[in-house]
Amino acid sequence: MKKLLTTSLLTLLSMVSVFAQNEKYVQAMTASIELLDKVDKAKNDPVELQGIANRFERIATAETKEWLPRYYAAYCYTLMGLSGNSIADKDKYLDKADGLLKEAETLAGKPSDEILIMKAYAAQIRLAADAMNRWQKYGALFTENIDAAKAVNSDNPRIYYLEGSSLFFTPEEYGGGKKVAKPLLEKAVAKFAAFKPQSSISPQWGRMEAEWMLSQTN
Amino acid sequence: MDKKGKPLPGANVFLKGTYDGTTSDSEGIFNFKTIEKDTAILSATYVGFEISEKNIGLNGKEVLHNFRLEESANELNTVVITAGAFEASDEKRMAMLKPLDIVTTAGAAADITGAIQFLPGAQRVGEQEGLFVRGGSGQETKVVIDGMIVQNPFFSSLPDVQQRGRFSPFMFKGASFSTGGYSAQYGQALSSVLLLNTTDKASNNGLGISLNLANAGLNYDYASKNQSISAVAYYGNLKPLFALVKQNVDWLHEPEFKGTSLTYRLKPTKHGVLKVYGMYSDSRLSVNSKNPSTDSGRMKLDLKNRNAFMTSTYSDQWADGKWLLNSGFSYSRNKDNMSFDAINFDRFDARTQARLVLTRLLAGNNSVLFGGETHAINLQNGVDGRLYRLKDHYTAIFAESEIYVTRQLAGRVGVRGEYLSLLNRFNVAPRLSFAYKTGKFSQVSLAAGQFYQNPDYRYSYMNKNLNFERADHLILNFQIIKNQRTFRFETFYKNYAQLVREFTGEVFDADPYRFPWGPTNNQGDGYAKGFDFFWRDQKTIKNFDYWVTYSYVDSKRLFQQFQESATPTFISNHNISLITKKWFEKIQTSFNMTYAFTSGRPYYNPNNKVFLSDRTPAVHNVSIQSSKLASIKGNLVIFYASIDNILNTKNVFTYRYTTDGKTRYSVGPQSYRSFFIGTQIMLSKKAKVDKNDL
Repeated sequence: MKKLLTTSLLTLLSMVSVFAQNEKYVQAMTASIELLDKVDKAKNDPVELQGIANRFERIATAETKEWLPRYYAAYCYTLMGLSGNSIADKDKYLDKADGLLKEAETLAGKPSDEILIMKAYAAQIRLAADAMNRWQKYGALFTENIDAAKAVNSDNPRIYYLEGSSLFFTPEEYGGGKKVAKPLLEKAVAKFAAFKPQSSISPQWGRMEAEWMLSQTN
Repeated sequence: MDKKGKPLPGANVFLKGTYDGTTSDSEGIFNFKTIEKDTAILSATYVGFEISEKNIGLNGKEVLHNFRLEESANELNTVVITAGAFEASDEKRMAMLKPLDIVTTAGAAADITGAIQFLPGAQRVGEQEGLFVRGGSGQETKVVIDGMIVQNPFFSSLPDVQQRGRFSPFMFKGASFSTGGYSAQYGQALSSVLLLNTTDKASNNGLGISLNLANAGLNYDYASKNQSISAVAYYGNLKPLFALVKQNVDWLHEPEFKGTSLTYRLKPTKHGVLKVYGMYSDSRLSVNSKNPSTDSGRMKLDLKNRNAFMTSTYSDQWADGKWLLNSGFSYSRNKDNMSFDAINFDRFDARTQARLVLTRLLAGNNSVLFGGETHAINLQNGVDGRLYRLKDHYTAIFAESEIYVTRQLAGRVGVRGEYLSLLNRFNVAPRLSFAYKTGKFSQVSLAAGQFYQNPDYRYSYMNKNLNFERADHLILNFQIIKNQRTFRFETFYKNYAQLVREFTGEVFDADPYRFPWGPTNNQGDGYAKGFDFFWRDQKTIKNFDYWVTYSYVDSKRLFQQFQESATPTFISNHNISLITKKWFEKIQTSFNMTYAFTSGRPYYNPNNKVFLSDRTPAVHNVSIQSSKLASIKGNLVIFYASIDNILNTKNVFTYRYTTDGKTRYSVGPQSYRSFFIGTQIMLSKKAKVDKNDL
């Protein structure tokens, strides 16, 4: 009886400490995600994003089994890839994003639609840095990752936002343009409305961006 | 801060394993509190720099630390070995050109060799095909595709007619044009190698149609997750074009050609890539050419050619990229049925080759590789009823290592050993390259080595005791690439030895159709020296790209029938190229213009006591080219048009004399001012389409 009480007490205590640690993790992530949401995505200020990326990276080094902090840090670096001063600078940020996504993939174990979507996003921005010379390699990589994400979860709204934005920025002569992008963006907005995130700290970004872009196609 | 003391804002400084940390401010200063106790590891990371860590004690007092971070290896602080090589590639950062540049150069006629002729180190020889590099003849440059030597890279050669390359530039993702001092991985070329790398994946799904004044073709690409297949078929006939463009040549049967090719790619494992390429082509032409050695002054030249070529390569890697494998196998077969007036000259050649290269990547960008290749070559020449045959087995092994002494200083050392069964001889050739980074955007490099090549096979039919011909190279290079502007200067010295000399006992015979018959030995020699400049600016004017190059060569040889040392006829001392390209975004059109200047070349004048001292006039060529992209009913369409020699300059490449030495006549291009138009249509269902076919 005493042994049973001790065992269950110890179990209870250890669970509490696990919860406590989880709570610290969730708190830190939530705070950092809030800061990330506040970033003006039209400007993508690299100084602001670097600070937030650093927060996620610190959480990542402390939580060696969690892929989410690495995912969000990669998201920050991917956005920084839009605002670097030269191709070399942009590539430096995107290289960092690639490395973090590789770590995230290994930790996630099984294929994750969110990680694949982020990889596609990074490929899209890599292409944008030097479109004339990179469209072939990174265009193919973008499609590969989007298709893989669809295979895991075809209801993820971010898939359709990225496909739509890719067409939105592709010149009409190459099969792109606002008209072709519109149906995909509409699908994205619909999926966003129906989307239920797995947890409070799971990726939820993209709704505002999709809605804004859709408004531009009219 | 970094090594030079510059503060690094935005660095991540934290206690390893905890959440405690902060981002450094604009002055690189960081400040944070922690409740951790005893000891901890203070870490600092910064994008593009190596992580730095320090053990600290936490006992309630303030801890001060100044981090000095080391930059990671990148293109601005790490040297790249470039002496003697011009890269055209999407992937390498040191690339001087992108593959797109080759295709959009006016005057190149979308032919790779045509475009390479506008680069420093290349000389323009209008009436012969091949790459003439730094005082070397067209035979001294080999074309290599995916590591395999191409036996017939150009359509069959005819005297005084420059032939195109057989391969479309769209097949390749990159090209490396070596102007000398090339790697131990390649051999059998006294002057240079043109390394072409095929694309790894098909570019679009669907059917494409190509239509222009010379040919009509279809291409089809299909790609699935890990395999892809591309098929091409074409038929060409130059009769309509020659009806529109005035010809200097008297055609009896305008060139007619047809062919097909198939490319298959497979990714059997995560990193393995198998590529198989097969091509067949068939062509014929007939011309009444000028030949002063006949009574009528003309000779009927008839040529039928059949060519088949197959190459397959397999590459893979293991141990997380530490080991790389590159292997290949190819077979080519070429038959020319020629007749000059009533006399038959048939040529047949076949080459089978296999190649294997293993590379081991070591720490710090260092690497070592070793490999080997073996070829079986079968040649036949029918000369006026007599059949000459040759069988040759060529084997080579090589080893090379790339060593980074520091990030600023790198060296590449290699050695190559070759054996040719035909000559029953070995050779061993050392190769050496160094590069030193003089600043953030600039570097100097040096390349040196020995290069061997089998003598022209026509000599070997008569004399099986010949030795390899040899060239020793020394090249120095300085380059700056900054802000999308490139400046490059290179100077070279080449020493030729063991060149084949033919002793006919007669006066020099300038007949381009002659077949060597005299006794031969390897007592010839020569030299070539010079320098070139390259300046490219892609930034100053928006959407405008231009480059200027100037090459100077001084060369003399004692070889072939020469009885004294003289400058060979393919040498022009000065070559200047100006290439300009402008892209008009609103109308999706590119407009390109090229000016090429080639100074006069020596030609044989039987009336002049001084051998090869006469010079042709200089050659000038101004050409323009334009391409437009359009979308018609959702299909991508590309229109292109070009005018070559827009000033209608009556260029002369060389002169020939009648047998009595009294009349001189000129050899020039097939046509003076000429134009060309065409279109490419992509009937693609997918959204992403091919822009590279500009």
